Amino acid sequence: MRHARIILDGRELDISIDVNDRITTTEGEALDVAMNSEKITWLPPVKQPGTIFALGLNYADHATELAFEPPKEPLVFIKHANTLTGHKQVSYRPDNIEFQHYECELVAVIGKTGKNIKREDAMDYVAGYTVCNDFAIRDYLENYYRPNLRVKSRDSLLPMGPWIVDTADVPNANNLRLTTEVNGKITQDGSTKDMIFDVPFLIEHLSKIMTLNPGDMIATGTPHGLADMQPGDTVVCSIESVGSLETKIVSEQKYYGDNY
Amino acid sequence: MTAKILVNSKLVCVALNDKAQLVALEATFNEAPYKKPPTQPVLYYKPHNTWSTEGAVVEWAKDFDGNDVAEMAVGASLGVVIGKETCRVSAAEALNYVGGYTIVADYSLSEQNYYRPDIKGKCLDTSAPVGPEVVATGKVANPDALTVTIRVNGERKSTFDMANMERSVAELISIISRIMTLQAGEIIAVGFAGDRVAVNKGDKVEANIEGVGTLNNTLEGA
Repeated sequence: MRHARIILDGRELDISIDVNDRITTTEGEALDVAMNSEKITWLPPVKQPGTIFALGLNYADHATELAFEPPKEPLVFIKHANTLTGHKQVSYRPDNIEFQHYECELVAVIGKTGKNIKREDAMDYVAGYTVCNDFAIRDYLENYYRPNLRVKSRDSLLPMGPWIVDTADVPNANNLRLTTEVNGKITQDGSTKDMIFDVPFLIEHLSKIMTLNPGDMIATGTPHGLADMQPGDTVVCSIESVGSLETKIVSEQKYYGDNY
Repeated sequence: MTAKILVNSKLVCVALNDKAQLVALEATFNEAPYKKPPTQPVLYYKPHNTWSTEGAVVEWAKDFDGNDVAEMAVGASLGVVIGKETCRVSAAEALNYVGGYTIVADYSLSEQNYYRPDIKGKCLDTSAPVGPEVVATGKVANPDALTVTIRVNGERKSTFDMANMERSVAELISIISRIMTLQAGEIIAVGFAGDRVAVNKGDKVEANIEGVGTLNNTLEGA
């Protein structure tokens, strides 16, 4: 089963989607709307977002692409809910930059509170999986708490969704094809089998430092294959058995409107 | 003890905002891995699990083998509490978006370096007490002219004149609001003394800013 949050006809709804794409609200109301309907506004799938952990350099080929040695321990950074947006929403490209790239990532959503969780018990703490696009603005990188907040904590630059898939429906999260298409052309094509630190390892590692709570998310990093994004581009991040997340890029002025 | 958590949704801290510390580290920051001094505010988050309150006990951290760490450190800062949605504001108007002031204590492992996000050192459970209350902006004439002191077991260990900050409160609000839209109740810890204060198990720590209050916490005992 898949679980999402949408706005339909002015109502904010928590929904479940079955294998036949039939949509039912958590109150049991069957919705007569097609999945691809323009009437659906997709919200970020985690209702009460907690701490968002993201991984840098967690695929060996991507680390090499960026001219780094693969890390010996996880490179983790934190993001907050201001970065989140849903499926088929917009993300913005800041003015006067040279290089903004997508990062298609498998996300584990935490469903249970835990500390000092053992690797072998880790999956008991995962509510499900979703997809995110952890955009980066490379122009803004500095060597202080890198990747710094100016690169990774910007409004709208973490699309997530469309939904959360139950862990039971993703039998082997360590062997999923992961692709990104920009304007219909595949630009990134990898597999979660190339992840350096997998979800159980990351849960054990993080929970040795701190308590994990429901609504926390772990974005597990991206394989190689980066490309610049421009306003007008459409980027689709897809992970086998989980979902496809579509985002349209707009200019900073268009995104912020009156606040620009 | 049921003091209320004062942080809403986000606690952003500013590191390396003490001019004296930047001068002291200038040679280091011109070498690898930094290569040049920071050109922008150096920011980090204290996430939800760290948030705590006036009067609370701060857990003593454990290492990856489950043993107590040898030492911890504390810094303290003015906490600027955002009063309303703050998006892309100028420094000139930034203080109009402040809803009040409080004190943020940041307990951590000792600061070893600034190259990678310090999740291990900074994200410890209960390591960010905030309080004792939010005071109205009218009670603080100039937020850049305050002095932050830390006492451990009654002895003064650190004094930080905020006049020595690299960037002012208004400049920081402006810069941060161009990275992320801030919401009411989100807090920015604007600047810590460059030298953090070493603490031991059982220590009683008071972080004080005249006109804002005193934040009292105790390290978990032996």
